[in-house]
Amino acid sequence: MATNPMHQFEVYRIGPEIKLGTIDISFTNASLFMVISSLAILLIFNLGSKKNSLLPSKVQLLTELSYIFVSKMISDTAGSKAKPYFAFIFSLFMFVLFCNMFGMIPYAFTVTSHIIVTFILASFIFVGVTIIGFMKHGLGYLKLFVPSGVPAILLPLIIVIEIISYLSRPVSLSVRLFANMMAGHTMMKVFGGFVISLGIVGGWLPLSFSVALTGLEILVAFLQAYVFAILTCIYLNDALNLHH
Amino acid sequence: MGKDSLKTRLEIAKSKISEKDLYKDKKPPSSIGTAFKLSTELVSAVAVGTIIGFILDKTFGTKPWLILIFFFVGVGAGIINVFRSAKNMQK
Repeated sequence: MATNPMHQFEVYRIGPEIKLGTIDISFTNASLFMVISSLAILLIFNLGSKKNSLLPSKVQLLTELSYIFVSKMISDTAGSKAKPYFAFIFSLFMFVLFCNMFGMIPYAFTVTSHIIVTFILASFIFVGVTIIGFMKHGLGYLKLFVPSGVPAILLPLIIVIEIISYLSRPVSLSVRLFANMMAGHTMMKVFGGFVISLGIVGGWLPLSFSVALTGLEILVAFLQAYVFAILTCIYLNDALNLHH
Repeated sequence: MGKDSLKTRLEIAKSKISEKDLYKDKKPPSSIGTAFKLSTELVSAVAVGTIIGFILDKTFGTKPWLILIFFFVGVGAGIINVFRSAKNMQK
């Protein structure tokens, strides 16, 4: 069982079974790691923002740098109108980042390697952005589906294509995060299995690969959280500043 | 070294580094990430198109036709997606 590379993605129940009607809402290892990530975020950012000293401590520096990083990202991609949504994007980015990074700890569970988690996150963003778009522009938001300068004969086809392109956003957003995390962790497990099966003679090559992959995975964990947040900003930008 | 001297030194340092310089050393995104982004854009649109076609087929009972049409419409949407994100990357 230990050599099965997909075994690490198994969700199991921790503690008693809780049922809400017919839905199983028991506490699982996935929920445990979501709670751990959220608590870690709360702890770090509380510690970092408690004391406002001129010479920042390491935690305060981390907090301030991440604040600047996200606010810069938002103003670069979505403009100043997106400032009210800073809190949402910041927490989203931090949650995905911490879930990815906690997954890098051996024996930890990677929450974002499950498509249902990333898809729910992406669906919330999609629904929220659509609501914001309709609130800001009313029915004029539907102009997003009608690009300018298209001959009238082609319009029905183009509108259908645009709607499908719009609907594909949450899918591509969630699949990207999920596939990256799952592929990386599976690959690491496979190379780890090679180390065991080749033993002390031939195991050195896969071991060095494993070390390199760990570094790459940490990069991917950060990059995917960044991409997730920046795409949210881009979608928000489409909703706030309507132009095509 | 008092707090004031640190403050003045901070001011001087701040004036030297404008905000632009801080973010100047932006690295281009990795090619794997770019390739992956483009491929998911294409695939997800095709998937969404096919799913819509499948659902419409089931509701209207026009079994093979709408799924075929929406598959190709999805391909078109995917190509448009790829085109757009490639355009965004060149900015």
